[in-house]
Amino acid sequence: MNRPVYSMPRRSFLYGLGTSLGSVALSTLLAEESGSNALAPRSGHFPAKAKHCIFLMMEGGPSHIDTFDPKPALEKLHLKEFVRNGEQKSAMESGKRYYVQSPFKFRKWGESGADMAENWEQLSQVADEMCFFRGCQVDSVNHPTAMYQMNCGNRFGGDPAIGAWVTYGLGSPNQDLPGFMVLPEISYPQGGAANWSNGYLPAFFQGTPLRPHGAPILDINPPSHVSQQEQRQSLDLLMQLNKRHVQQHPEHQELQARLASYELAFRMQTEVPEVLSIEGETAQTLDDYGIDQGPTDSFGRKCLLARKLVEKGVRFIQLYNGTWDSHDYIERAHGNLVRGVDRPIAALIKDLKQRSLLDETLIVWCGEFGRTPDNGVRNGTAYGRDHNPHAMTIWMAGGGCKAGHTIGATDETGMNAVENVRHVRDFHVTLLRLLGLDDNKLTFYHAGRFKQLSQFGGKVIDELIA
Amino acid sequence: MHRCVVVLALFVLLAGARGFAQEASESELLFVRRVAPLLREKCSGCHGDGDTLEGNFDTRSLETILRGGDSEEAGVVPGKPDESPLLLAVLRTSDTWSAMPPKEAEKLNTEEPAWLKRWIETGAAWPATERIASIEEEYADKWSVEDGISVTTSGGLKPDWTNRKYEPDSLWAYQPLQPPAIPESEAKRNPIDLIIESRSPEGIEPAPRADRRTLIRRVTYDLTGLPPTPEDVEQFLADHRDDRLAFAELVDGLLESPHHGERMAQHWLDVVRYADSSGFANDFERGNAWRYRDYVVRAFNDDKPFDEFIREQIAGDEIRPDDPEGIIATGFLRMGPWELTGMEVAKVARQRFLDDVTNSVGETFLGHSLQCARCHDHKFDPVPTRDYYSIQSVFATTQLTERSAAFLAGENTSGFEERKYLELQRNRHSETLKELDEVLLENAQKWYAEQGKSPEAWNAELERIRKNNDGAIFNNVRQALRNAGQQEDEYPPKLVGFTPAEFGLERVSRKGLQRLDWEFDRYEPFALAVYNGRTPQVKNIASPTRIPADRMENGELEETCILAGGDPFSPTEPTPPNALSVLNDQLQAEFPTSVEGRRTALADWIANPKNPLTSRVIVNRIWQWHFGRAIAGNPNNFGSTGQRPTHPELLDWLAIQFLEDGWSIKSLHRHILNSDAYARSTTHPQADELAESDPAATAWLVFQPRRLSAEELRDSMLTASGELNRTVGGIPARPEINLEVALQPRMVMGTFAAAWTPNTSPSQRHRRSLYVLRLRGLVPPLLEVFNSPAPDFSCERRESSTVTPQVFAQFNGNNSHARALALANRLLSETNSDAEALTESYRLLYSRSPTREEAADILKFWKNLEASLPETLEPIESQPLEVVRTAVEENTGEHFSFTETLYSNRDFVPDLRPYQVNRHVRAFADICLVLFNSNEFVYVY
Repeated sequence: MNRPVYSMPRRSFLYGLGTSLGSVALSTLLAEESGSNALAPRSGHFPAKAKHCIFLMMEGGPSHIDTFDPKPALEKLHLKEFVRNGEQKSAMESGKRYYVQSPFKFRKWGESGADMAENWEQLSQVADEMCFFRGCQVDSVNHPTAMYQMNCGNRFGGDPAIGAWVTYGLGSPNQDLPGFMVLPEISYPQGGAANWSNGYLPAFFQGTPLRPHGAPILDINPPSHVSQQEQRQSLDLLMQLNKRHVQQHPEHQELQARLASYELAFRMQTEVPEVLSIEGETAQTLDDYGIDQGPTDSFGRKCLLARKLVEKGVRFIQLYNGTWDSHDYIERAHGNLVRGVDRPIAALIKDLKQRSLLDETLIVWCGEFGRTPDNGVRNGTAYGRDHNPHAMTIWMAGGGCKAGHTIGATDETGMNAVENVRHVRDFHVTLLRLLGLDDNKLTFYHAGRFKQLSQFGGKVIDELIA
Repeated sequence: MHRCVVVLALFVLLAGARGFAQEASESELLFVRRVAPLLREKCSGCHGDGDTLEGNFDTRSLETILRGGDSEEAGVVPGKPDESPLLLAVLRTSDTWSAMPPKEAEKLNTEEPAWLKRWIETGAAWPATERIASIEEEYADKWSVEDGISVTTSGGLKPDWTNRKYEPDSLWAYQPLQPPAIPESEAKRNPIDLIIESRSPEGIEPAPRADRRTLIRRVTYDLTGLPPTPEDVEQFLADHRDDRLAFAELVDGLLESPHHGERMAQHWLDVVRYADSSGFANDFERGNAWRYRDYVVRAFNDDKPFDEFIREQIAGDEIRPDDPEGIIATGFLRMGPWELTGMEVAKVARQRFLDDVTNSVGETFLGHSLQCARCHDHKFDPVPTRDYYSIQSVFATTQLTERSAAFLAGENTSGFEERKYLELQRNRHSETLKELDEVLLENAQKWYAEQGKSPEAWNAELERIRKNNDGAIFNNVRQALRNAGQQEDEYPPKLVGFTPAEFGLERVSRKGLQRLDWEFDRYEPFALAVYNGRTPQVKNIASPTRIPADRMENGELEETCILAGGDPFSPTEPTPPNALSVLNDQLQAEFPTSVEGRRTALADWIANPKNPLTSRVIVNRIWQWHFGRAIAGNPNNFGSTGQRPTHPELLDWLAIQFLEDGWSIKSLHRHILNSDAYARSTTHPQADELAESDPAATAWLVFQPRRLSAEELRDSMLTASGELNRTVGGIPARPEINLEVALQPRMVMGTFAAAWTPNTSPSQRHRRSLYVLRLRGLVPPLLEVFNSPAPDFSCERRESSTVTPQVFAQFNGNNSHARALALANRLLSETNSDAEALTESYRLLYSRSPTREEAADILKFWKNLEASLPETLEPIESQPLEVVRTAVEENTGEHFSFTETLYSNRDFVPDLRPYQVNRHVRAFADICLVLFNSNEFVYVY
């Protein structure tokens, strides 16, 4: 009688049940004042280096020290006591603490000699496409508030996400898909859907999550007992009633928009499933992305879908992975996490490049903060690291970033950024600039103030731009 | 227009000034009056006063301006404005000089560059400090007439701010209420209409009165959030008395409906950001928040005088410490998202609460978003940072707690038996932890074997501890060995030998128990509230807290200070409790500095009839609740950046009347609803002319249609289907929502929040939407997609956008399909023919009968559709009994799965389902679904 266990996805589709991806074509429907199309593509404030952005969000806070920012000094300090002072102590820092060396070996890769841990087996092969930034700092040591700050500029949530700002500023090339799409993990990140909120911007700019389980977009299909033909008949009746109603209320302008939204929704249900379909991809491609190969399958599907969405003209795509919150056993935890994303990301970069899309697609990889060089009492076996808002590594590829360079530096233990130290708002401003937007002009009047992604204005990090 | 006048006035003044102040040149006067303030406000933040000097260009003296910055060009060339980079930069058209100030939102207005230009033309004078002072003194009176007025406040961080001038217009909200002159000859008419008509665009009459059918639908939704019953409609149409008289009686009846308070509460809870959970990392449930929600419903139903409503929400615990109602009311102070995790610095978290509550009180009651004054004196309004911290000081002794408050006779305490499902969850978690403890004990033995160490000491402790303990034996043995002086490498590490699944399960169970603590509070007589005392030293709040016995002895007695940059570690000058100083000339108040009584003093200050903000703010909100748009367009912002009132006299008349009526909200509703303005048609005979002369539709000459809110939409479908449970108040309800969302694993700190399980009984699921469990981390999609606001920020006015996800929800979603089926089934069983059933559906949803043509069309459609449907359907399942969760385990980075049992779903009683009815009913259900989606249903005219 009852369904025993919640059903799992069908594998022939990249994502979700694949019955159809109703792209939420929010478009033509109603920009409130002008009646013009809220998602119509428009030019930014500067000539854009990148047209699209794929934002790889490593939720939980990846350790820069164990991935892209080697700290040989920690080898000597290993298990020596680490003392933190200052009033900013939290309960997390209670007990004795010790320096912990990285369990990962580092090498220099590519012609640029980029520092990467050796377990980035595939990504290291495209090291020269990457631009590493070690100077970023954030304000929050807690996951959700740091996530909100990285995604929306404001620690307390409720503000528009970067993707919302970008689609607000630029619209989106494809009117039949949302301009800002999100591929979350099976479990939503801390802070939930507010991480891709439109905030106070109009609803057209909200991030649309594609769910990996069940209907990729909620209610994209009618209940299973309703056939398409039955639904078409109902829709026809609805149109008939609504048209009669419009004649009685010619003064009411919203009615037409609501009429149109129904036709569009119905079209979407039947038109877009191929975006999610794996058909048409070669066996080689699937292999490159690590699809159907244990640890890389999940993120591989996301990366391939991201490429397809870029090809379809989606403006901003955010992919989630994690959790990278490795307080303990960092060797095992980060080892597995890197294994899960290494191959898919490398494939994405190569694939975009081969299709001549890398130049116009900015790839960003980051977490909400970095990690500390120290660890609490872990009995000499369970080495891990805690949250660190003062140092992290962000890297970019494609989209006009300064590939083959490492910008900024952290101190010898990786505790603090010390060179080209920039608040995350400067990074946001830089990201907008690469997409052709001026943060100071990309404003929205809300609650008595012109608001912007950077909150208070920031400065472009010129060193990151080619 | 206004600005042109000012510029003209300036030149007139300058021409005149030269006559009597011969020693002050035009350039000097311009500098003192215009250019110096301009440089200070727009330039020196980055080019002088800041930590870094942008471009090495300093605008704080003529010398440094002439020296220039990195460009090594003089910023100003006296006499040559066209060659002066400073001017070129602010004009924002130069290719060489980047636009300044950089932010578009801060660019100079149209007249400011003209001052700068003229100042440069006239030689760019920069008098010495003493001379500036003497010029200022000499011209003070003259200039104040032209430039705006000074305002007395407690004083800014800098004298320039303290002495700055305001456009009189921008200070409207602080002026005492002004009774508008109502001619005696018009004494019989509603002053609302007199005021509106006196401001009407010339030559345009108001729209005619709407028909009664439209009006009863409009006012019933407006006052109760529910549709009128077909019987109510018939009765109102049959009332042969005068339109106004019949309508007034209808309004009186609706104001007495218990559902009226629910509707008003929905509006109020939008403003105060009501939610049943704490948000952020843990999003712990606030088990008792529902009691505050119901307090609000009661307050509106009982027409609690608004001043009392204010006092109770801010200081109910101080005013009536022995009355549970007073304690429950202070839930208002707890509405913001807040938590303290072990990851966070406690003082920072405490400051977040203080900032939140300070801002919330300002926004809710005073129409002032005070947070703008947290780091600096308010940029636009006369709110100094000192005032911000003086108000914050009121809350310095306010501590957060879930405190005892006996259930009241009027509270709905039914449904508590649902806690048995939580108990099953609790048992499951405890058992899992016990099992895992055994695993660890086994692994410990393996560890000793692998390490080649003797387990003798371990086993001895194990035996001893096992006798006395039921759980956590492994950790206790470790602790015992540590206490006995063993080194860390001599005994097994914590969580020794766990597999990824075991790591994950341990965390899920341990944290799951913690989460349940908060939920069990729901059925206990506690209230989400506050107490007064010292700030306790806590590092982490993982379970509900009670008032500590040593509240006056233990912890820090906070002394609020102005915080430099809003940083709790940078206190400067102490600020004793006080209120907004800009109103000092109208109302004074004594604020105690004792631990108790601060909030009472603030509440009394706010609820003082002489406070011009309080009454204006609430009457403005209520106007908006009825008309969809407020008189002053930003109900949370009465400052200079908020929209000015379109009809200030109307606002003041309403406020004065409101005070005269003893702060009675229901009387206010009557004044507004019985006006002609409220009863107008949405269609205007001169629509084009009206649109031209009143493009923003602020003249109130025609009524604006509106889309049903998310809650009204759901509640209306339940009403029509006959399923709505009309009980008022009680613990939150959990309707069925999309399984994708209900079972969506939600990361909370260190674990997953439990799945959303619907209530087992249909009647509990079908409560009004006001009562739907409101988690910050999981909003039911149907409500979210129709613009139910997220409770992160105060919502002063709801959006009403039309986006495609609404189509998916309303046309495809299970909820609307289920309601349509229930409606169809009900009508076919209650009526004698298809035609009758159809007529009844129209009456329920549209408040009218179908026309003959409509009926014929639809009956024909019905027949055709029915024939195309399958005769029978396969049974479908309803709620799952368990869900397998997969996630990345934190310690290992590997995926792991666990099964969550959904205990309550074992007792789930499903709604009527399509396979249980024949295709005749199903075809009619499709028609009902179409009606649910139709514009005539979704809009209120």
